Amino acid sequence: MKLELGYVFIKDIQFAEQSKVENGTLYVNKEEVKALILEDQNFKSADVELARPGESIRIMPVKDVIEPRVKVDGPGGIFPGMVSKVETVGSGRTNVLKGAAVVTTGKIVGFQEGIIDMTGTGAEYTPFSKLNNLVVVCEPVDGLKQHEHEKALRFAGYKVAMYLGQLAKSLTPDEVHTYETPNLVEGLKLYPELPRVAYVLMLQSQGLMHDTYVYGVDAKQTLTTMLYPTEIMDGAIVSGNCVSACDKNTTYHHLNNPVIHDLFEEHGKTLNFVGVIITNENVYLADKERSSNWSAKLAELLGVDGVIISQEGFGNPDTDLIMNCKKIEAKGIKTVIITDEYAGRDGSSQSLADADASADAVVTGGNANEVIELPPMDKIIGYAEVADIIAGGFDGSLHADGSITAELQVITGATNEMGFNKLSAR
Amino acid sequence: MLKVVHYINQFFANIGGEEMAHVPAELREGVVGPGLAFQQAFGGEAEIVATIVCGDSYFNENLEKAKTEIIEMVKKQNPDLFIAGPAFNAGRYGVACGTIAQAVKEELGIPVLTGMYVENPGADMFKNSLYIVSTKNSAAGMKDAVKKMAPLALKLANKENIGASAEEGYMPNGVRKNFFDQERGSKRAVNMLLNKLSGKEYVTEFPMPDFDRVAPNPAVKDVRKATIALVTSGGIVPKGNPDHIESSSASKYGKYDIEGVMDLTEETFATAHGGYDPVYANIDPDRVLPVDVLRDLEKEGKIGKLHRYFYTTVGNGTAVKNAKGFAEKFAQELKADGVDAVILTST
Amino acid sequence: MIITNNEWVHNKYRELYDIIYIEGSYRDVLVKTRDKLHEGHELLTHPLSSSIKPNETPYKSVIISDNKGKLNFDSIYIIENSIMTCDKFNKNKIMNLTEKMKEDFKLIDLTVLESALNI
Repeated sequence: MKLELGYVFIKDIQFAEQSKVENGTLYVNKEEVKALILEDQNFKSADVELARPGESIRIMPVKDVIEPRVKVDGPGGIFPGMVSKVETVGSGRTNVLKGAAVVTTGKIVGFQEGIIDMTGTGAEYTPFSKLNNLVVVCEPVDGLKQHEHEKALRFAGYKVAMYLGQLAKSLTPDEVHTYETPNLVEGLKLYPELPRVAYVLMLQSQGLMHDTYVYGVDAKQTLTTMLYPTEIMDGAIVSGNCVSACDKNTTYHHLNNPVIHDLFEEHGKTLNFVGVIITNENVYLADKERSSNWSAKLAELLGVDGVIISQEGFGNPDTDLIMNCKKIEAKGIKTVIITDEYAGRDGSSQSLADADASADAVVTGGNANEVIELPPMDKIIGYAEVADIIAGGFDGSLHADGSITAELQVITGATNEMGFNKLSAR
Repeated sequence: MLKVVHYINQFFANIGGEEMAHVPAELREGVVGPGLAFQQAFGGEAEIVATIVCGDSYFNENLEKAKTEIIEMVKKQNPDLFIAGPAFNAGRYGVACGTIAQAVKEELGIPVLTGMYVENPGADMFKNSLYIVSTKNSAAGMKDAVKKMAPLALKLANKENIGASAEEGYMPNGVRKNFFDQERGSKRAVNMLLNKLSGKEYVTEFPMPDFDRVAPNPAVKDVRKATIALVTSGGIVPKGNPDHIESSSASKYGKYDIEGVMDLTEETFATAHGGYDPVYANIDPDRVLPVDVLRDLEKEGKIGKLHRYFYTTVGNGTAVKNAKGFAEKFAQELKADGVDAVILTST
Repeated sequence: MIITNNEWVHNKYRELYDIIYIEGSYRDVLVKTRDKLHEGHELLTHPLSSSIKPNETPYKSVIISDNKGKLNFDSIYIIENSIMTCDKFNKNKIMNLTEKMKEDFKLIDLTVLESALNI
């Protein structure tokens, strides 16, 4: 399967009469976007705002971040099974508004988390401070249930991202990158000498606020299975996860999965990247056993020499991670796992909730409990008062001058367990 | 300018090798030996005002005396920083560097730094309490060691924020600290996997905790002749808990005499444990600490005898480190008392 | 069997399942679970069954087997690690919760539990 990604670079975002992309600027008609959101009768009002890199803006609480993409050529549309038909995606041409994102916000539950600062200390920790963001703020109708609100907001994000993506459909991209995965037989013929590597992608799947969808299916109802890496670039996997801001995988992370990207970089040179095994992180221990059995079995069936395993979330996923690692190593397949740590504010507590000696190659996204100081911002998009009640915030987190003292875990994407960031810990 | 006191052994002071290791601690003004390289590396920001030279044997054999003498010498200089070594792979020198650095830090409250090879016994002893820069295994690595130690020394003396071990060059000390690496995590993972696949060296970013797997001892040869002791984490203590063992996160253990005690009763014993329903343990403490059954076995000749003392603590949330510490202490006593085997009971 | 301190779980399922309802903390639920595992019950759901940290949510529900068997060491290992993780977080207590937040946490605990019950 072969996919061309056409990058249209976005360096600025502005409101305008007409939505369009011109000379690297994304112009957005605010009213059209609002109308699009309000098509959903679950919302009583909607607003959109802009947040550019370097601006003194704090966005909170962040639910999801989505990169605008559009299918130019080839079967299906972006986010299959969610907003496009359930066509198999991942081939042909997809254009990307590189440097832009849609950020959804909303108080779905009382403690919901996630901060993106566009400047200052916080900005260093989140990749989304480098993007030109269109921020969606919408109010649900009274009495809307939490799960309905979550779903409505999730779909609002996709719809706005699709709307922006459409603007790039007929544009000539600034750069085109080609990603191709041959079938197993061809791959073996092409690179007989190279070590064969697969990627085991763990998806959070525990219930309300903790869900991930694959082609529209709730991942907790899936068996461990395989995807072509390029399917994920077309939005085959989307996030419905609202908790654990620092180490949840947003839809943006899935679309730009860094492990997939970096394995493709080496594909055909130092390794043969054969594909992606996706597996879930369910609550039921028997599910954990089954799912990790299957990842090991699929890795064996693929005849790979090594795998990279990435994680999502805190606590019980450590058990899935270790099970996956242990069982795959037991098949004689080498593993590297990517995780993050909760080592306490002073860094001296045990980092993971599970451990095994076979996990001897670990990459860490950092200690999510480390305390950081976020300076006050001129403008807050969203709901400032939630600062005290977000994960990692504590009584008195929000100071009178608008600055915040909190654990790193408040920052969206800060300790990402796909290895999206440079942050590490020792 | 920042003032530094430097500690070195007889070898680096050019006094001599092993045959001169007995020389006592001596203070010399200014730079001696490797101090010169440090002085240059400080680039005018800091000055070595004095060097303390001490023979390795003298230090290790007159530990308390040497420590007191050296601390006095350091105190008089009133420095901003104390550097010991680097000791490379010299074992006694490494232990001396760690010991004296620790003492200076604790008693004088000034920042300290030392350096040694990772396999130097001093490294394991002190890496969690001191900044120890990881050096090569011989003095040929001096240049490299100074290059890593000098910048960290200045940061410590200036009381600047100290970054993660990977950035600053000190040995990982069990305290996790964040830093921005050169490459993003996914790229580091790909590189690590390639190294692992090709059998090359790689360093995990998070070492899994040590799994303390204890190999079972050989079976007791003749249990009919063996002295058996009872040890419990179930919190059984003489009623009233005379040593005040905590009901959770215990910081101590108790040792109690059961000479002539045939049966633990509600009137005489109880549990101090706060982590389980104590009703049944209190009605009959033998349920947790089976003295009655062992007395029976003793009478029937099935065991040699029950040891006169039992040891007890509360396992409820008690740190593994503490529990290990307790056992290390009383295991010595059990051995000295000629106990052949121990029955460990929990809750 | 469900061990919970979440009254919503208790109210909704007490007719259907054997429930040990605990008027206590998140940690109390874990400790009770541990005690039941010591009796030979098997752990069926992961005690840290959510990415919500143990010092944020006060509510916890865990499912264990109705039947008792031989002591299951995998279960013990997981519950002990979970209690340690819980203690690690509880060194730093988070804010007072509003009624609305308590309800949200009860709801999330309930739905996470239901994801295991297949409801």
